[in-house]
Amino acid sequence: MKVGLFIPCYINQLYPQVGIATLELLEKLNVDVGYPYGQTCCGQPMANSGYENESVGACQNFVENFKDFDYIVTPSGSCAYHVKKHYNIIEQTDDVVNVRNKTYELCDFIVNILKIKHIGASFPHKVGVHKSCHGLRGLRLGSCSENVGTEYSYIDELLQEVSGVELVTLTRKDECCGFGGTFAVTEEAISVKMGKDRIQDHLDSGAEVITATDTSCLMHLEGLITRNKQPLKVLHIAEILNSTI
Amino acid sequence: MTHSKAASIFNKDEKKVNWHDKALWFVRHKRDIAAHTVTGWEELRNLGHGIKAHTLSNLDTYLTQFEENALKNGVQVHWAKDGDEHNRIVHGILKEHNAKKVVKSKSMLTEECHLNPYLEADDIEVIDTDLGERIVQLAKEPPSHIVLPAIHKKKEEVDVLFQEHLGTKPCDGDPQYLTGEARKHLREKFIHADAAITGVNFAVADTGGIVVCTNEGNADMGAHLAPVHIACMGIEKIIPKQEHLGVFLRLLGRSATGQHITTYSSHFKKPREGAKMHIVIVDNGRTEQLSRPDFRASLHCIRCGACMNTCPIYRRSGGHSYDATIPGPIGSILSPGKDLKKHSTLPFASTLCGSCSDVCPVKIDIHSQLYKWRQIITKDTQQPFVKKTSMKMMGNIFAKPTKFEKVGKVARWSLRNLPKSMINSKPNVWGKERDLPLGPKESFDDWYKKRQKNE
Amino acid sequence: MSSREHILSKAKENKPEAIALPNIDLEVFKDAKVLSEEFILKVETAGGNVLNATSDKDVIAQINTMFPDTKVNFSTLEGTESFNTVDLNKLEKPHDLENLDVLVLRGDLGVAENGAIWIPDHQIPMRVLPFISKHLVLVIKKETIVPFLHQAYQKLGNTHNDFGVFISGPSKTADIEQSLVIGAHGALSLSVFVQ
Repeated sequence: MKVGLFIPCYINQLYPQVGIATLELLEKLNVDVGYPYGQTCCGQPMANSGYENESVGACQNFVENFKDFDYIVTPSGSCAYHVKKHYNIIEQTDDVVNVRNKTYELCDFIVNILKIKHIGASFPHKVGVHKSCHGLRGLRLGSCSENVGTEYSYIDELLQEVSGVELVTLTRKDECCGFGGTFAVTEEAISVKMGKDRIQDHLDSGAEVITATDTSCLMHLEGLITRNKQPLKVLHIAEILNSTI
Repeated sequence: MTHSKAASIFNKDEKKVNWHDKALWFVRHKRDIAAHTVTGWEELRNLGHGIKAHTLSNLDTYLTQFEENALKNGVQVHWAKDGDEHNRIVHGILKEHNAKKVVKSKSMLTEECHLNPYLEADDIEVIDTDLGERIVQLAKEPPSHIVLPAIHKKKEEVDVLFQEHLGTKPCDGDPQYLTGEARKHLREKFIHADAAITGVNFAVADTGGIVVCTNEGNADMGAHLAPVHIACMGIEKIIPKQEHLGVFLRLLGRSATGQHITTYSSHFKKPREGAKMHIVIVDNGRTEQLSRPDFRASLHCIRCGACMNTCPIYRRSGGHSYDATIPGPIGSILSPGKDLKKHSTLPFASTLCGSCSDVCPVKIDIHSQLYKWRQIITKDTQQPFVKKTSMKMMGNIFAKPTKFEKVGKVARWSLRNLPKSMINSKPNVWGKERDLPLGPKESFDDWYKKRQKNE
Repeated sequence: MSSREHILSKAKENKPEAIALPNIDLEVFKDAKVLSEEFILKVETAGGNVLNATSDKDVIAQINTMFPDTKVNFSTLEGTESFNTVDLNKLEKPHDLENLDVLVLRGDLGVAENGAIWIPDHQIPMRVLPFISKHLVLVIKKETIVPFLHQAYQKLGNTHNDFGVFISGPSKTADIEQSLVIGAHGALSLSVFVQ
């Protein structure tokens, strides 16, 4: 099994440590990982802003880079969801269909393809999980509070096996953080307010660290936490799963 | 005004935002409790969706069947292409009965058609009898929510409003006292009304009957006392059979307020002895929405308001920020179909978090439709030059790996080396209240290449 | 073209291809709840209270203790005429019922999942009665309680009502700051007797 590692554009440029943790983690789990150099972005920033047509080049570049892998794994629920859901705007060749089917968010891949839950990580902290919306309600990485049915969460399942992690209980367990791509700028007031409210919920629940499957949500929350000098650390789930004492 | 502008004004009073958010979250929470007691809730939602989809695919047949049965029941049926025609028809019926005093129970359709000002222009008194609607009517405001019209009003504001208009005593906003006074005030109006107007929650094709749901009993107080009852409905209110009410009434109350059913679910079929009943069936843009495959499911809506209660943006921007008859997520997919230019910012008033679609009792893919409206809006309406060109630039950069690498390098360098005051200066809206990440020296690409070399 | 024809033709023209009507499978809703217990719970959740009664006479006797000072009473139960203080036949218009204190009606069936009681027009001499009365008392037979609305409509399917209403609890509103206030325009209280 050959896995193509997709590192989203903003992680590549601004949060390389998340990419590094993802790669190291997959290698620890004995996955044969390849990283195609020509990759850029899934196209989501343009598409969610209403410029789907401007994202066609990015989509094609994505497929070109990843078409030969058995799986494509990325530390972003949002980007994985975009590939799966919105790559209907380019011609549905076998490669495109294949890439859409084989793209996985990291936790999803570990739990459902590798079928591993115990990674052997250690992280002795109180952790609040921010359930990023596209992973939760798009990829169904867990049950959401709106739906009625069996409760589950791949992220929680993995974290529960990490030695020392104490998961805190939030008042609103899956409310959006307010990032939303260009929404963060075009609806600045609401975006900031949503972020502040999420952070407060984590603080009130006694979390020391906020984690998520998506660095985009975390970048927004971290921006507020840093500006307001709040006692919270922000880490991508890959960084926690990759940590050992 | 754009949604974001209105929202930023609403957000100047953070305490009020917190209060508004909590009030609506409380309703969402009650909805969760109620929904979670129902075995087969998700199947019920599937049925709601399926019955509505089936109905729309046979809409003309069911409308004809409904009319035929309603006529047999002794009800007069009218058809209105648009809001104006609807208003003219209602006005005509009132004229015919020489009705000067009208009591009206909740009807978003009559709001959409702006019926009240139309009738008031001819000296007809129209009293909204739902407490929340009466409050906003006295305040000369539109409802800010389709189920909780006065959810944006503090009880102290209601207190002052009632003192001014109903002559109540100051009461520190005591809801019990204020509701009691409203009951007395509106009881007078019910007793003396010449006609009652109601909305329609469901119109049943196979019986020709309509169902109206309220908690207060105001629709019934109006319709059973006045000599004339006019029920106004959009064409999408139709359902095929009476047994389908079993599905929709199970979904409606729970989704709306967390009640297992509204207090009164009144099934009107024939007019009462000596009284007249009229039904006005209105299109007003609905058949056009039906023609749009991507958006026709918005016509499934049963007006429960759950998408508003769950929407993190609605809760923090208030219903009025949408400047549309139906605010919130469902309004943001309905309104662009009526006036794309006017409502062009609404589909962007969302993070596409998807909570609306998952809470919707009839499974409308609201957030997917928001995404689709965005694609249409950027093509069909004037967009800011900066947005348009930056999107084009980004598209080009992401299509070409070499360009991406260069741009990334410059961006990282700037974040690392430029002073914070410059990075967070005015053109950077992000930086107003948020820090940007420190630009790392190495991108992941750089690190990976180095690693490969060292191996 | 009339507006009617215009709307119908546009609906016909713009509708999607036929989509089949889903079949309602009641099996998926089955739960282990006990009907009578669930019914009581849901009436109480809706703000009403539930009492037991052995006969219609017993209902009236209990009402007389519950509402000792009421002036205007009306009951449709058989053999309880002495309870009535108004003669509906002598009323000129329904508006004259404005002072009705207690109204006792029989309901055709109760729904366990939501505490709703079906009151069709043959049970109400005037449609406005259950709404205009200050205190509403509904009487149902225990064996008429069905689990869900689906079964209720199955039963109603065979009847022809010109008007009917499901009533669940007294009238209420939460339109002022989401504070629940019992007693909006309709009844201020609801008592349900199960026989």
